[in-house]
Amino acid sequence: MRLWPAALLSLPLSVMLSGLLAAALPVPWASWLVLMLLLVVTLWMLLVALAALPQRGWPALAGLLAANGVALLLLQTTTLYGGGP
Amino acid sequence: MKADRLRRFIDLHAWAGMVSGLLLFVAFFAGAINVFHHELHHWQDRPAENATVLDADTFLERLTERFPQAAERLYFQPGNDPAAMWKQDGEWQTARVSHFGGDDGYLSRPGSELADFINELHYQLAIPGGAGLLNIGMILMGLVAALYGVALFSGLVIHWPKLGRELLALKHQGNLRRYWKNLHNLIGVVSLPFHLIMAITGAAMGLFTVVALLLGALVFGPQLQEVISKKTDVWPAMTTSGEPVTMALMADYLSAAEHEVPGLQVAWVEVRGFGDSDGWLDVAGTVPGYLGHHAHVVLDPTLKPLRVISPAQRDLNNASLSVVYALHFGDYGGLAVKLMYFLLGLLGCLLFVSGNILWCERRSDRAGPSRASALLLRLTLGVCVGVVAGVAVSFWVSKLGLYSPWADQVVWLERLVFWLVLVPLAGWSLRASPLRFCGQGLRVLPWLYLLIPVLSLVLDGARAWRDPDVLLINGVMLSLAGLLWLVRKHFRRRVRLAEPHPLWVGRVSDGHPIHKADAELES
Repeated sequence: MRLWPAALLSLPLSVMLSGLLAAALPVPWASWLVLMLLLVVTLWMLLVALAALPQRGWPALAGLLAANGVALLLLQTTTLYGGGP
Repeated sequence: MKADRLRRFIDLHAWAGMVSGLLLFVAFFAGAINVFHHELHHWQDRPAENATVLDADTFLERLTERFPQAAERLYFQPGNDPAAMWKQDGEWQTARVSHFGGDDGYLSRPGSELADFINELHYQLAIPGGAGLLNIGMILMGLVAALYGVALFSGLVIHWPKLGRELLALKHQGNLRRYWKNLHNLIGVVSLPFHLIMAITGAAMGLFTVVALLLGALVFGPQLQEVISKKTDVWPAMTTSGEPVTMALMADYLSAAEHEVPGLQVAWVEVRGFGDSDGWLDVAGTVPGYLGHHAHVVLDPTLKPLRVISPAQRDLNNASLSVVYALHFGDYGGLAVKLMYFLLGLLGCLLFVSGNILWCERRSDRAGPSRASALLLRLTLGVCVGVVAGVAVSFWVSKLGLYSPWADQVVWLERLVFWLVLVPLAGWSLRASPLRFCGQGLRVLPWLYLLIPVLSLVLDGARAWRDPDVLLINGVMLSLAGLLWLVRKHFRRRVRLAEPHPLWVGRVSDGHPIHKADAELES
């Protein structure tokens, strides 16, 4: 069942996508932490649902893995990590 | 939508719902009762026989003298019999004004913790080890809530094109499975907004630690923990100065807070450093008329306001936190909203049971008789009947225990009996015929809940109807008995009208189809 690997790979991706949104928005990330938490869980649910849908499982999981890598690389270009609120 | 894509959505909906369904049933049933958490606290108490009434200030002085650890941090709750909660050697303790006699005597009275047990059952399945940051039960429930969100999203995609038709589709049509399906769809459609709220807020609360850890590790770095504390704590934790200060009267603190936030209804006061010049008090309560109704007024010991958080003045984090809590707990619109949450919670239970039954029957019809679907059907019935019966028996022990020679053991007895009822019933359900098990369970359950208000009436006397909180809980239990009787009546009618699915009769290992015994048909 691909639900579990999809859930495992989608969680860090939803966290990093929310981080990228925080970097893109012109407001301090610390000012909307609670909304970010809600966004992470909602995004996670949607990603799991989308990743578990395709007929063949591995392309979706490979796509999630690649998306995690890309999101991690993109985050390195921001000043969020240790950069203050 | 293409047929194969629709089928995959249906499969995803079924799998996600089936994996999370049983645990969600427990959370929703306990959650429906937990809507009345505050009232249940009053219901579970045995009224004080002690006629001496101390004022709140003398109570707090005597409490902190007797228990110095309470002076570091305590929660004071005003009311007819004011209470204080504090951590004594790592364990939360509660004392009431009525515990203190006329002299300096302190009389520790046994009490029940039924409301806390129901709450723990709701958010962590009563799995022990809830004090630390890594609360296993809470994280598990957070994961279950996320799966529930996945099931909701896929269910929404499946049913969106035919929402209108399904609203009016609850017909028997001589087919029991069609009936379950229509019931499942109707409840899902009617209560979709409620379920979306519960899934998102439940997952956010349950997985807060996990998401915060990931956000810290992947996005923001170690600074995140400090930022979260700064943004969500009402005031920084204090270090004792050692310089004593005379505390003002509690009534003055409350009126100072009401002066800062007009219309504030005080729920509790957190006191940090009682009698210390660096201490502070957080007067917390609600301001009616707002969805995010929570308010805090932080005062120093000399009544000087340090911070005000109210619907009129607060930042985005506090505003969204307040809305999340209010939407999840349903405490923003008085009794009417609470009753609505109670009913929607119970409908949610029916949604999960019908979903699991549908999955089992559908799988059995498509792939032939299977041990997995037979076992899941039996486990679903066993856990559901076991949880509903176990909670009722916990209520009995809570009420009866305080009037028995084992009053000191009530706190653990009311938890123990829940498991003593649930585990054998779940075990029995695996062996018994589902039809017979369900029929017998539904025959007994209404009586279990009917007995709760009767016990309250016998043991509490006039308090059972004169105290509004006790009356409300008794009414809730009576309505639960009535609703379970309705389910029983409906179940019996369905069994009479349509032949049950073969999964509902016989043993797991029997062939397919299974011939029903006459006794089973009658039940």
